[in-house]
Amino acid sequence: MSLLRVENVTHYFGGLRAVHNYNLRVEPGQIRGLIGPNGAGKTTIFNLITGIYTPTEGEIWLEDSSIVGLRPYEIASSGLGRTFQNLRLWRHMTVLEHVKMAHYSKISYGLIGAFFGTPKRHREEAEIEEKANSLLELVEVRPLADQIVTNLPYGALRRVEMARALATEPKVLFLDEPTAGMNPEELTRMMDIIRRVHGELGLAIFLIEHRMKVVMDLCNTIQTLVFGEVIAEGTPEETQNNPRVIEAYLGEEVVT
Amino acid sequence: MTFFFQNVVNALQWGSFYALIALGYSMVYGVLLLFNFAHGDIFMVGAYIGFFVVSGLLAVASMSSLLLPNWLLLVLGIIFAMFLTSFVGMLVERVGYRPLRAAPRASAAITGLMIGIILETGNLALLGARRVSFPSLIATTTYNIGGVSITNKKITIVLVSLLLMLVLHQFVQRTKWGMAMRATAFDFSVVPLMGVSINTIAALTFGLGSALAAAAGILFSVAYPVLDPYMGITIGWKAFVAAILGGRGSILGAALAGFLMGFIEIFVVVIPNPFPTMFPFSLFPAPYLFPSTLRDLVAFSIILLILTFKPHGLFGEAHTARLRL
Amino acid sequence: MGVRTGVRSGELSTGRNRLGQLLNRIWAPFSQVPLLGWLLGALIAVALEQLLGTYLARILGMIKIPALFGFAIVLKDLALIPSAILYVLLIYVLPVAVIARLSASLANRLAAKLLSFPMWVSVIVHLGLLYAVLGLWAGVSDYRTLVARLTLIGIMLTLSLNVVNGYMGEFSCSHPGFMALGAYGASVFTMVAFVDDRAFGPPLLPPALGPFMFPTALIVGGATAALGATLVAIPSFRTRGDYLAIISLAFTFIVKSFIENLEVVGGPRGLGSQPDWANLPTVFVWTVLCLWIINNFVRSTLGKALNAVRDEEMAANAMTVNTRRTKMIAFLFAAFWAGVAGGLFAHVLRYINPGTFGLQKLAEVLAMVYFGGLNSVAGPIVGAVSFNLLGEALRPLEVYKWIIIPLLLIVVMIFRPTGLIAFREFDVKNLLEPKQKPEEEVEHVAAAR
Repeated sequence: MSLLRVENVTHYFGGLRAVHNYNLRVEPGQIRGLIGPNGAGKTTIFNLITGIYTPTEGEIWLEDSSIVGLRPYEIASSGLGRTFQNLRLWRHMTVLEHVKMAHYSKISYGLIGAFFGTPKRHREEAEIEEKANSLLELVEVRPLADQIVTNLPYGALRRVEMARALATEPKVLFLDEPTAGMNPEELTRMMDIIRRVHGELGLAIFLIEHRMKVVMDLCNTIQTLVFGEVIAEGTPEETQNNPRVIEAYLGEEVVT
Repeated sequence: MTFFFQNVVNALQWGSFYALIALGYSMVYGVLLLFNFAHGDIFMVGAYIGFFVVSGLLAVASMSSLLLPNWLLLVLGIIFAMFLTSFVGMLVERVGYRPLRAAPRASAAITGLMIGIILETGNLALLGARRVSFPSLIATTTYNIGGVSITNKKITIVLVSLLLMLVLHQFVQRTKWGMAMRATAFDFSVVPLMGVSINTIAALTFGLGSALAAAAGILFSVAYPVLDPYMGITIGWKAFVAAILGGRGSILGAALAGFLMGFIEIFVVVIPNPFPTMFPFSLFPAPYLFPSTLRDLVAFSIILLILTFKPHGLFGEAHTARLRL
Repeated sequence: MGVRTGVRSGELSTGRNRLGQLLNRIWAPFSQVPLLGWLLGALIAVALEQLLGTYLARILGMIKIPALFGFAIVLKDLALIPSAILYVLLIYVLPVAVIARLSASLANRLAAKLLSFPMWVSVIVHLGLLYAVLGLWAGVSDYRTLVARLTLIGIMLTLSLNVVNGYMGEFSCSHPGFMALGAYGASVFTMVAFVDDRAFGPPLLPPALGPFMFPTALIVGGATAALGATLVAIPSFRTRGDYLAIISLAFTFIVKSFIENLEVVGGPRGLGSQPDWANLPTVFVWTVLCLWIINNFVRSTLGKALNAVRDEEMAANAMTVNTRRTKMIAFLFAAFWAGVAGGLFAHVLRYINPGTFGLQKLAEVLAMVYFGGLNSVAGPIVGAVSFNLLGEALRPLEVYKWIIIPLLLIVVMIFRPTGLIAFREFDVKNLLEPKQKPEEEVEHVAAAR
């Protein structure tokens, strides 16, 4: 039984076909990669699976239940966490508040608790805070917990976003270009953190990347997407040596 | 059928007012991405300036015993008032909006509302609470065309409005300044590249919009000659709603939605009652479905429905803009 | 050009520094006065006014106690400026300053003692003192009582509008509509149930029960408003920003027009003779309740979901936040409190008509929110209090009042676009804490010797 199954997903924007016949299986504990040139439709695939778009055709299963047509927050609470390519943080919130917020679906004190500040609420908020702090520890931003996110350096923001996604307690974690725009130092740190998250929490991870090095080092299997279609799928070595992949990437970006 | 056309004429007249004012809202939005909430009051200021210009011209004409025809006085009045009011618009931009260009849009909205209040109160303080009456320049002549009675005033209003819209269209499409305006509406950052400063464009846009509002103000005074400081509020908000209905920043949309607004308002209260002996919406059996007191209620309900199902207006493109904080 | 502005701003900043230093020096002795000390001082001051105010006013050449710190009197007769200033100094400034300073160490000890009990004990004591101050101050004249009640209602309105416009970042114009629904809902309830009048006939219940049922009436008003709010909340699922602003504006027009056409409640003539149950203690208790609940809400993670929806809706959704529920809660919650405020408003003025809840009211509440500050609880209090008091104080200026207030607001918008106190949490504990710890105090005393 796969953790996540995507079967024959096709999506049109108006008359434009953005994704064609896409298939994916993610098994527990796997790290899978999705690479491809700009505009190939990688983020569209993320958005289709996480419910921001509803696929024109196809089926998506998370464990035993179909998640097509569910609203994004329902998909997220059923175990599919994600980060965004262009950091979508909440500009007036502190780091700690970000991570606490991602526990939203687990809050059970309800409006009564929120309005009247019941003991149950204080207990739950304290629990959430403790969990949030340990996640911040995990991604090495604990000292920044009380900072407003607009004051932080870029690398830290990426890690905050990671902690926030982890707080939704995902079964599969989707990372959209987790190292985009990072310098080599930040990059190494991020890769360590991804490995640590994978090891400690035992998640399955599905990531989009632009940098070959990251995908090659991290992933068990890699799909290559060009113009909305998967043209190759295999281990890092197979992908690296696949002539069609090399062709798609030639001139697109220096393969590092 | 004559009854229908009679109402079409009325709707066209009111639509002209709404369209001329809505254009100002829409142009400013297109360029600066904000609504000038003082615009309704600029309409009022325009009407008053028109009143003073026309009264002044009449006085000069009678003193110098020059026999200027009344239509010429009206045309001169419109031109002068448009010119003068455009400066009021530019002043409003300079004082109330330019310092806030980087601020959240809600703050600019508040400033606009406050400038509107200042204009109303300033008028009240300067001229007192008495209402002034716009000189009657055109003697009303009523033409009867197939049972539909049309006054020369209504014809003038609709024609002048259409003419002004045509001029605006030519200006925006053909001239260098119009092109700069369109470029700004397309992308804020290209403006310095064209060798034009954004401040100039903003001033120009406010000036143009205010001139149109002034024209609407005078035309309105021709039809309804009693002026008061608060005359711009309701008509301004309705024109604002029309501008939104047309799609933010869409000039054609604003003009069409202005007329649509006029039609909705006029026709809502003349829908025949299908059960003339019963009274579904009014207290007494009536020939019309909605009594005229329900005009605003029904009109705004229709607009609420349109916007609920077409959230980006009739001619606007779909992108969610929101208030930045 | 650049050099010149540089020099000028330099001069300005030194000027500001000097002013700042002066203020700091004046403030220094008071920095250790806890809230409790200030309240004690204010209590003595208003008690003094009760006892001596009239005599002092007469001695200083005024007919009666100046109602609003002398502003109104001064604007009517400029010659009274010195006596008004003297009055304010002698009655308010001097006693408050002296007592706050002298009682500082006692008040600090007391505040610390109070905080050793559960928090609510300290809160109740502070609120009791605050009410005593307000009650004594307002007790001087009916006019002051009216101003105090309307200001408290203004605080409720501003707090509730801030939930939508500040915390959720929508530009909602529907507040006059919500307020109207609440005002009419509550009025109809009290008048049908407890008042014998022409519109609704004899009372259904014994009028003696009335005052006890007044909370029910306000809740009915709030619920009516919340019900109406669904009309704005549902479109907010699909649209935001300008279009939602228009939808909310249309809502206000619709409510006003609807009531104008509702003959049962008097149509455009309005509805009068509501029972006089919204006295100062009632309004005070409801305002405190509103403040407490709203502050609780916006500090919870459920409430902060509003901020998440405002700043990045897509991310909120991906982080399991049910955005539709959040928007629904925000609108209904805000509308409920606007409705309660409307109900109180109707029973304070005892006459309402649809015209009351139009664009003028809208401009007023928006002004209070954006003046005070977005996304904060202290901001709306400051906004509502200063706006209401200023409005009353400038009343003698007649029309010019409506030039000065807008100008002031424009200046605030230019220099502080999000309002005076924006994006700040309202921490009750912090507010009530002693401003000096006992050990420090000992050291301080020792050092002084």
